[in-house]
Amino acid sequence: MSQGALYGLLTEFESPSLLLEAAAKVRDQGFRKWDVHTPFPVHGMDDAMGIRGTRLPWIILAGGLTGLAAATAMQWWMNAIDYPFVISGKPLFGLPANIPIMFELTVLFSAFATFFGMWGLNGMPRWYNPLLTNRRFRRATQDRFFIVIEARDPAFKLDQTREFLASLGGSEVEEVHESAED
Amino acid sequence: MAHSSFPRLEDTNISLDGLGGRVFAVSAAVGVIGLAVTFALGAAAGDGMRHFGYSYLVGFTYILSISLGALTFLPIMYVTKASWDIVIRRLAEVMAAVMPLLAVLSIPVLIFAGRIYGWAEPETAALPAMAHKAAWFSQGAFLARWAIYFVVWSFYGLFFWRQSVAQDSSKDVKITLRLENYSGFAIMIGAITIAMASFDLLMSMDPLWFSTIFGVYYWAGGFVSFFAVMTLLTMGLQNTGRLTRIVSPEHFHDYGKGMFAFTFFWAYIAFSQYMLYWYANIPEETSWFLHRSREGWGKLGIVLIFAAFVLPFAGLISRFAKRSRKLLAFWAFWIIAAQWLNLYWVIMPEFSEGFTFSLMDVTCFIGLAGIWLAAITRLAGGHSLVPVGDPRLEDSLRFENA
Repeated sequence: MSQGALYGLLTEFESPSLLLEAAAKVRDQGFRKWDVHTPFPVHGMDDAMGIRGTRLPWIILAGGLTGLAAATAMQWWMNAIDYPFVISGKPLFGLPANIPIMFELTVLFSAFATFFGMWGLNGMPRWYNPLLTNRRFRRATQDRFFIVIEARDPAFKLDQTREFLASLGGSEVEEVHESAED
Repeated sequence: MAHSSFPRLEDTNISLDGLGGRVFAVSAAVGVIGLAVTFALGAAAGDGMRHFGYSYLVGFTYILSISLGALTFLPIMYVTKASWDIVIRRLAEVMAAVMPLLAVLSIPVLIFAGRIYGWAEPETAALPAMAHKAAWFSQGAFLARWAIYFVVWSFYGLFFWRQSVAQDSSKDVKITLRLENYSGFAIMIGAITIAMASFDLLMSMDPLWFSTIFGVYYWAGGFVSFFAVMTLLTMGLQNTGRLTRIVSPEHFHDYGKGMFAFTFFWAYIAFSQYMLYWYANIPEETSWFLHRSREGWGKLGIVLIFAAFVLPFAGLISRFAKRSRKLLAFWAFWIIAAQWLNLYWVIMPEFSEGFTFSLMDVTCFIGLAGIWLAAITRLAGGHSLVPVGDPRLEDSLRFENA
């Protein structure tokens, strides 16, 4: 059995309330690269984890404004510059006629920005997650609640972090490795 | 932790008690004085109460549109089995239940109909283009339609309110199921009557002009104002120690979403109406806009684009603004003013070729708003401010935005 680099440390809890308490302690220790895994959404978890607002809206705003600018420029260039053609006596570049496309491209680019921005912020596409090699972790979709602190967290020190996780009152702490063949 | 400390009804005051009497007295006084001043100003204008008629129409159609917003909000909440709104639903119920009062307040419009509506002027009525509309715009037919609108709206307004109040004590789940069953039909009837009423109340000032989307335009302005009024009423109650905690930033967030979404919806409809007429450029269709793009009305139209769409859209787009009490209150006041301005821009060009503004336009709105507020206060005073018998009230108290 070959083991890759250390991905992180995992510990398991039996109820959402235990998990919430433990998550608040991990937050207070100043960890950044860590996550919880639960079979269902747990109310209050965002606060307990100290998750700040997402940057996604700004990405969407940028996407929307890009769409708006692209639609305006495209219609202006096509209708007024590249192929000027008077249609029913309207100006070559008449704002009312262009607004529907401006609206649609704003919506389209916003939707793209939302979808792919979400991918980017979540580190997708990702074909494989080391956590999925852990047998114990499979119950994260059933009846167990997990905290995982990743090794790339600046505050991560194997022995100290293991000790800290053990002190949270969950089950024993397990190491998770990259590309392990279980 | 948030999940372990959901607010309970016992934590706050859910009755108007002493406040009801004071608000009723003050707003009724403001209403009566406001209308009396308006009437005096109208008589002093020396134009046979013509200006008064139009001022009254602006104020009346605006107040009516807010109650119509409540009347559409309720069945939409029932058919979608929404629960976020339950804790504040009683406010919408009383706003819809004052329809009989609005029927009474509509009488001055009928009295001055001859000065307001183009079809009632002999010259316009004699135009060849009016020949096929003569039956529709006869006095009898107009009055009959008017009666149907207000009877239907009063029926539904009182129905939703009375059933909900009955549930306060009976806690009967069947009432919720019954209201859910009736709501689909109520939405359909509402859509038809509101559209037709907007044709009669507003569009028929210029009986030669027509726009099929006009009903949606009128309704959208009322619906966005409804959310603004709900925001301010709820905040007012909370400032006096009522509904505190049980109406949380989560509920205000939804008011904000309502204001934001229907600000855009209103603009979308307004533009849809404009663009097709601009594009086709047919005289009988463009006349309405041509008239409103000249002599100062055009400038007001530009102001309206920013006041009723661009600024509130930008101001309410972020989650932060929707969850900030101060910003939300600011935009609620703003939207009420902007949507009033919208109806002013729709109605007043029919009164005057050039831009005009009179004190009575404002006093009339304040007077009608006072009477309206007095009426909803009176209705709200008799019962709990929260529909305590609703089986899903608990969901509403625990509501959190995803």
